[in-house]
Amino acid sequence: MNARAPQSRNVVTQSLAQIGACGLFLLTLLAAVPRSFRYLRETTRQLWFVGAMSLTIIMVCGLFVGMVLMLQLYHVLSIFGGTSASGMVVALSVYRELGPVVTALLFAGRAGTAVTAEIGLMRATDQISAMEMMAVDPVAYVATPRFLAGLIAMPLLCCVFCAMAIFGGHLVGVTWLGIDNGTFWSNMTAQVDVHTDIVNGVLLKSLAFGAVVSLIAVFQGFTTPPTSEGVAYATTRTVVASSIAILALDFVLTAFLM
Amino acid sequence: MSQPRSSYAVGTGLFIVLGFAALAYLATQTSSVANNVRQGDSYDVSAQFTNIGQLKERAPVKIAGVRVGQVQSITLAPGRDAAEVKLSIDKRYDHIPQDSVATIFTSGLLGDQYVGIDYGSAKQMVAAGGTLARTKSSQPLEEMLGKFFGAGGVVDNIGGSYTVKADFTNVGALSAGAPVKMAGVVIGSVQSVRADPTKLNAEVILAIDKRYDQIPDDSAAAVFTSGLIGSQYVAIQPGGSPDVLKNGDEMILTQSAMQLEDLIGKFLVNGSPSDKKDAGSGKQ
Amino acid sequence: MTPSARPPSDDAALVRIRGLTTVLNGKTIFDALDLDIRRGKITSIMGPSGTGKTTLLKHITGQMRADAGSIHVDGHNVAELSREELYKLREGVGYLFQNSALLTDFDVFENVAFPLRQHTKLPEVLIRNLVLMKLQAVGLRGAARLMPNELSGGMARRVALARAIVFDPQLILYDEPFVGLDPVALNQVLKLIQTLNQTLGITSVLVSHELPAVQRIAHHVALLSNGKVVAQGDPATIADDGSPWTRQFFGGEADGPIPFRYPAGDYATELGFAGAAK
Repeated sequence: MNARAPQSRNVVTQSLAQIGACGLFLLTLLAAVPRSFRYLRETTRQLWFVGAMSLTIIMVCGLFVGMVLMLQLYHVLSIFGGTSASGMVVALSVYRELGPVVTALLFAGRAGTAVTAEIGLMRATDQISAMEMMAVDPVAYVATPRFLAGLIAMPLLCCVFCAMAIFGGHLVGVTWLGIDNGTFWSNMTAQVDVHTDIVNGVLLKSLAFGAVVSLIAVFQGFTTPPTSEGVAYATTRTVVASSIAILALDFVLTAFLM
Repeated sequence: MSQPRSSYAVGTGLFIVLGFAALAYLATQTSSVANNVRQGDSYDVSAQFTNIGQLKERAPVKIAGVRVGQVQSITLAPGRDAAEVKLSIDKRYDHIPQDSVATIFTSGLLGDQYVGIDYGSAKQMVAAGGTLARTKSSQPLEEMLGKFFGAGGVVDNIGGSYTVKADFTNVGALSAGAPVKMAGVVIGSVQSVRADPTKLNAEVILAIDKRYDQIPDDSAAAVFTSGLIGSQYVAIQPGGSPDVLKNGDEMILTQSAMQLEDLIGKFLVNGSPSDKKDAGSGKQ
Repeated sequence: MTPSARPPSDDAALVRIRGLTTVLNGKTIFDALDLDIRRGKITSIMGPSGTGKTTLLKHITGQMRADAGSIHVDGHNVAELSREELYKLREGVGYLFQNSALLTDFDVFENVAFPLRQHTKLPEVLIRNLVLMKLQAVGLRGAARLMPNELSGGMARRVALARAIVFDPQLILYDEPFVGLDPVALNQVLKLIQTLNQTLGITSVLVSHELPAVQRIAHHVALLSNGKVVAQGDPATIADDGSPWTRQFFGGEADGPIPFRYPAGDYATELGFAGAAK
């Protein structure tokens, strides 16, 4: 509610204040988790909105990322006569970096903004106050289900993205560029490790990104001034803050997990 | 309201199922799990190689090209010029003759290395914990090319965290930090590479682990490349002298980096490699 | 101000406000305000825009905390209640928002059923009947399956009213219930408020500007200005009690104790005439 931070403060203090407020909000959110179990149906509904409804964009983008990656790698690796490794490189780069990061960026754009705008408008139209007046905790009913839904949806979306990327890579590499099907798979299976690539890469990263994006989206929705201008700014901030957070966190996670 | 509600639930359920299906696909079809067909019962057999090249733990063990197990561990017995490789082989394939030959092969020119077992003819089968006595080591590309063109031959040595010096006429792309290997196992690293202003060659300081202090002082150092486009390393080939290398010693026998271009050039100039005039004279 | 006094439920005042003081962003909203809202009566809170009538309602429901003073609702000091106790209290309080505040995710039926679903485990048949009864009361039973964005402002207000009364609360707070209603709907809402009050004895607090409407149903009127109750009494006679506050407010004059003009510098100076004049 103090989101209209004084203009006089510089960007650094303002960002720090936002991060601090966001951290406190996370605590509120987590404290409301036990209470939000009563609203399991609401969580399911949000999972539908942020997860299932994002499937199309995730699948299409995954397919194209895999295809273009294969095309690029094929041309680079053909210099060294190593085109047979391209399937493996597609898999590794998608699992370790592109899958979680691109999925998270798309997720922030598709679902994060929707959540921020929705909550902002709910506040602008007093729906949040109405819930409080009906003795329904808005954090437990509105914020936490959306946060949990994001947390669950991101790893699943990321898996779908990766599978589509592999499929896209296979499509271009094997059916178009003529890499041997067996070579494509055997090189991939020889190098991809379940623990380091799938668990640490795909699952862990996307879980972390899902938490960050959902937290930022819900936080921005809840703290924006309840006006049309405020909602517009909050939506923009969700995308900007999420993108920065995703890429920064990606670096940290990579450094720790490698 | 009950209508849209149940469709949410169904759609969300489908989404979750799809997500997990994708995860299962990634985990089982595109990862190494696909290779561990039955990581169940297996038995260990060890084999000693004089050079394991790029062989890594968990590399496949194949018979007639079919995967039957994987490399469990690779160790270098201190003071011995051989790498001990433990192979974990599926219980189903327990009829391997004792005189079978374990060979380190490379899948293609750039591929990873694996252990291939060629069946022998002995009636005696190798038992769990047994040893395959007959092995063929990995062949570094340079060595093969070198033999082929007659540049090979000499070379040998050993070390600990002590330093020895070696002069090369050409170090290729060797840089500080590159590994120093013996029999394919890392025993130290390159501490520095600098040009000697008077002798006009490259002076390389090698830091070798203290455990390997039985390296004969007539061992040779050679600059090799891992694979065709890999990074370069120094290989030490032990000699036969009763005296060992000590801190600050200089290795006299060195073999410089081979330039692929030179080799190919020679090849083209000499015509067919079978008439090894140049090569033959260099060899002996 | 004995903390957590046991419910003196025979107290004539359901809501007792004493010395309420609130400062928001450096602006004093309430300055030692005292007000009693009597049980079973319709009390109307009137006053110029920006005097904090809505803010007062938010104080009563504990959505906002006062800087000083106390508010007792049915004997409980709102400021001292824990979150659970506050929510318990709110289940017995209906609140009609200025802009209806229907949940846009749900249709009319589910909006009205929302409090029931959240706080009770009633069988579906019972919920259905209760909701339809309330919708019938506001004349919108036929609109049960419409979504909020398909409703007109007046209809949305009536749905919100149905939602506010679905729990049969002992206290209902109406925030500007008459704004934007056509005469027919206005009349119906007035009648509804009156019926709820008379048949169920629901205590009502009515925030409104519209004296004629208020005069028809309210038992008591309190005029708020400058953070204080400046006049209160019977709705029929309050306009004529002769105080400058009531004369200005009900007469609609710009000059008087109620500030109409926002504080500003000298008019002539700001227009640039000051120099020429001197």
